[in-house]
Amino acid sequence: MSSPIRSPEGVWWNWRVNGLERTWLAIAFVWCVILFGWMVGWKDLGAQNPTGPTTRISPGRYRAEVQAYEKEARQTDDGIVPPGEDVYVGAQQWTWNGLPVVLEAGKQYRLHLSSYDVQHGFGLHREARMIEQFNLQVLPGYEWVVPIEFKHPGIYDVQCNEFCGVGHRTMHGQVIVK
Amino acid sequence: MAIGLLEGTYGPDGFRTCEVTGLKIHRSAEVPLKLFGLTAVVALILGGTAALLVALTRWEAVGLLRPTQFYKYLSLHAWNLLIFWMVFMEVGILYVGGPIVLGRKLPGTRLARIGWVVMVASAVLIEYAIWTTAYPNQQPLLTSYAPMKSSALFYLGVDTFILGTVVAALPFFACIWQEKSENPNGTLPLVTFGAFVTGIIAVEALLGGLITYVPTFLWRIGVVEHIDAAWYRQMYWIIGHGTQQINLAAMITSWYFMTHLTAGAEVVSEKVSRGAFILYLFFINMGAAHHLMADPALTAGWKMWNTSYAMYGAVLASLIHAFAIPAGIEAGRRKRGLGGDSWFGWLRTAPWHDPGFSATALSIILFGYLGGITGVLMGQMQLNTMRHNTLAVPGHFHGTVAVGTTLAFMGLLYYVIRLFFRKEWILDRLARLQPYLYGAAMSIASMAMMEAGIVYGVPRRDPVTTSIPGTSFSFSAASPMLAILGIAAAVAVLAGAIFVLVAVGSLLFGKEARMRVPVPLSLTGSERPVHDFSMRGTLAMGLFFMLVFVLFYAMDWMWLSRLWTFGT
Repeated sequence: MSSPIRSPEGVWWNWRVNGLERTWLAIAFVWCVILFGWMVGWKDLGAQNPTGPTTRISPGRYRAEVQAYEKEARQTDDGIVPPGEDVYVGAQQWTWNGLPVVLEAGKQYRLHLSSYDVQHGFGLHREARMIEQFNLQVLPGYEWVVPIEFKHPGIYDVQCNEFCGVGHRTMHGQVIVK
Repeated sequence: MAIGLLEGTYGPDGFRTCEVTGLKIHRSAEVPLKLFGLTAVVALILGGTAALLVALTRWEAVGLLRPTQFYKYLSLHAWNLLIFWMVFMEVGILYVGGPIVLGRKLPGTRLARIGWVVMVASAVLIEYAIWTTAYPNQQPLLTSYAPMKSSALFYLGVDTFILGTVVAALPFFACIWQEKSENPNGTLPLVTFGAFVTGIIAVEALLGGLITYVPTFLWRIGVVEHIDAAWYRQMYWIIGHGTQQINLAAMITSWYFMTHLTAGAEVVSEKVSRGAFILYLFFINMGAAHHLMADPALTAGWKMWNTSYAMYGAVLASLIHAFAIPAGIEAGRRKRGLGGDSWFGWLRTAPWHDPGFSATALSIILFGYLGGITGVLMGQMQLNTMRHNTLAVPGHFHGTVAVGTTLAFMGLLYYVIRLFFRKEWILDRLARLQPYLYGAAMSIASMAMMEAGIVYGVPRRDPVTTSIPGTSFSFSAASPMLAILGIAAAVAVLAGAIFVLVAVGSLLFGKEARMRVPVPLSLTGSERPVHDFSMRGTLAMGLFFMLVFVLFYAMDWMWLSRLWTFGT
């Protein structure tokens, strides 16, 4: 008997492996290669990747950057219209600086993300749509620049989705795409 | 009474022979095993109670707790179930897999006792720190993400809990050392080998925990001035995810043990199953990277290499176990002539009325479909961004640690009660029903969370998503899912309560167990080696699983491709 609670006797390394088990091993191996290959391939060929250059920055300096950007930007009833391709968002307990922001569909922007205090989550969700959201981690001390381009006009709601203290639930904003 | 419960009847040399398994069991191993098992059940009660309050808050139509209370009970839920219940059980599993399976004494029993005392004291300290958390401290939840501050006592408690666990694990390693010194050419039984791998993964995770939490404690009390958020995340997840890998390896070890004991499973290939454990040893800790896919400060190459456990080494291991264990049941039962020659007769005639078997079998199936598939999907760098920090994440890990590990451990404990405490189960019928009720309810709760997260984008760690203060925007479309979550979770807690009732009731009021060898084990069966018997039923089930896996994978990528463009 090949019991899992007894030491196997003899040279078990040489025991035959059942043909169906070998078949399964082959299927599993191929699937693992596909999983890896698809992910790596999407990095270069796909259009959705949570990647972009990061630089270290003190929370104070990032706050100054956001303030300079807000001064330069045009304020409208709907929100801030960025002066160029750079869009700054600063997170702090429990509000988003730089939001609401008004963007154009079909135009590529550079989204700058960082926090002034603790960790936050930039959760973006297209209003009244299903399975249309993404979530990026926002860390103090790091400025993350993620290229972003919206295909469809609409309202995109921003919800902090990293626990950032008891007021976490009140931390929201909007991206309006025209 | 508590002391009496831990005792048993032993020969003059301190050993007794188990009538069911034939194992030689020494008092020095059995007493601490019982102690750790009982302590785990206490944590299960505390964490399960907190679970009910948390679920009835996330069911926002009920909205039981205020946010401050919600975060307190969410922290208690996480620490009691994800850490204390699991870790106390796992130390117990090390003692089963080591000295009990090997028929040895547990060396250094004093260390086991010291470890237990330190772990319990630390757990109490952590509970106290959570309970008394007040501004400017925030609740730690599971992750205590720096630089948000939690109570200094909390970090201290975590440090000492980790130390206590390492101390409690030392006797296990000493036992393996003694065994290998005396039998340098012998092979460890598979269950011992699995426990050994679990132990190594555990020590890696625990050392990572000290690297994280000692500096964090020093920062919290002001000795260290600055703590870097990205550093903390990367270090924290060595233990944060590492502990979940301990759960996985311990659960799989328990699967091999329990399917053998209750259904007559055999090891169809020592080489393949051990190879899979070795793959875990090398690759599984890289899974810590799963939590950093949506982070700045890491390159795409780092993310993809690590999240894939170096090209899916650990996923390959899990897929191997996913075949080897059911195949062990199939071939083991065919060898004994159980269930006839049909494709699935071996499975239909399995002991589904035995909660030790049904809990284990449901754990295998549900872990694979709910926890396994979603884990791989979420672990892909790009797909992760759609799920990160949504309710789909708790949906996934309730598919791993709740319907997977917790259910497997419940099945194991049913047999700990019979074989080690030597008590019959009281309320036998309820005990038979319990794994099904828990498995079904927890699966529904888990799927409701996944759906709320992936389809509606509902955030996790948030008690108010359908009436967010200060905005008309809300996730109210997900309300039916949250209601299903609340109801299903309440039923799952009820099923957990039934388990506790049966377990504790049996210990206190159960009759002395009549030791019957389960039917499959009592049959010797054919002389032919087990790998000669057909595994076609298992392969058919495996192919179906693979089909579902591929469909969900394709669907997720389709959804992602429809999203706006982002990244470099």
